[in-house]
Amino acid sequence: MAGRLARRSLLQTIRSGFYNATILKAAPAVSFASSTRGEDHSTGLGSLFKAVALGTAGLIGFSGVAYADEAEHGLEAPSYPWPHNGILSSYDHSSLRRGHQVYQQVCSACHSMSLVAYRDLIGVAYTEDEVKALAAEVEIEDGPNDEGEMYSRPGKPSDHFPKPYANEAAARFANGGAYPPDLSLITKARHNGQNYVFALLTGYRDPPAGVSVREGLHYNPYFPGGAIAMPKMLTDGGVEYEDGTPATESQMAKDVTTFLSWAAEPEMEERKLMGFKLIFVLSLVLVTAGYYKRWKWSPIKSRRLIVDAIN
Amino acid sequence: MASLAITVAASEDPVDPKPEVEELGKPRCAKQWLAYQSCVKRVDEDSVGQNHCTGQYFDYWGCIDNFAANKLFERLK
Repeated sequence: MAGRLARRSLLQTIRSGFYNATILKAAPAVSFASSTRGEDHSTGLGSLFKAVALGTAGLIGFSGVAYADEAEHGLEAPSYPWPHNGILSSYDHSSLRRGHQVYQQVCSACHSMSLVAYRDLIGVAYTEDEVKALAAEVEIEDGPNDEGEMYSRPGKPSDHFPKPYANEAAARFANGGAYPPDLSLITKARHNGQNYVFALLTGYRDPPAGVSVREGLHYNPYFPGGAIAMPKMLTDGGVEYEDGTPATESQMAKDVTTFLSWAAEPEMEERKLMGFKLIFVLSLVLVTAGYYKRWKWSPIKSRRLIVDAIN
Repeated sequence: MASLAITVAASEDPVDPKPEVEELGKPRCAKQWLAYQSCVKRVDEDSVGQNHCTGQYFDYWGCIDNFAANKLFERLK
């Protein structure tokens, strides 16, 4: 008897503990607000409530009070209407070709793309002969040869894009301590990657009143914190496109962002095709399964139960 | 015809459509612009504090961006 009573009270305390936790989690804003207003009635339960609530408020981040967060996260990039956004849309391959040209002429001086090989471009942006010619323009260090020495040779399609710096330390040293990240996966490695990269490249503006960035950094509202080491790289007419497209800043940013999206997700077109086939087949399977289930259940669903109750 | 087009393009830099599209968005974002301007005035007058107008700046440029995003891509190839 006493044991059962003790067990009940344990269950009750557990349950009420959960209840208290959800109450506390649901109302941190209230106690946060009251504590910021400086009210200080500390009953035992009230101050415990405030202490726990302040902790959870920090975790949940629900407060609308912290304006300092804005620059920290950067301005949210808008959703640009990328031509390859649709559920069955492919990349714009002429944009990929132009984007690679922009990368090669503007970005590759500082940014590596060491996961992409020249031959990945065959059938995507260039023909095989064009890729062979592109690769051959670059000197690759290879070796050791039979004499044990490293030697230089022109590139082959199987080589990856060359790195501008030997290692991260060299990259930082050449760029004032900042490391220009590898761009192979950048649109997947940043929140809202595609839109972020485009907004960043075209978003160099004067800082707001009261904000200054130190010498060597540049203001960019989309960059978390606002102060980016990379200067504005895209200017109108900076690249001369082979196909004669006017090379405005926005055009170059669009093309290079499309190229970077491809580099991060080269399988996208195949994935969308596979997805379409999958959904199509699965919906047929769903209809079939539904019909089969209803057919098998029909005796049960159509039976009559007669209850003959005698009181 | 092809060579004529090339010489014309080479002599003048192409003009970026983005600033023009952003100008078009300005009337829609007038409220945020005015809020930013009044913040700028407050910050300029205050010589003591470390205040800044990032919030109003973000509100304004966020508004312009949302308007300009679709319009800009219509003008790009």
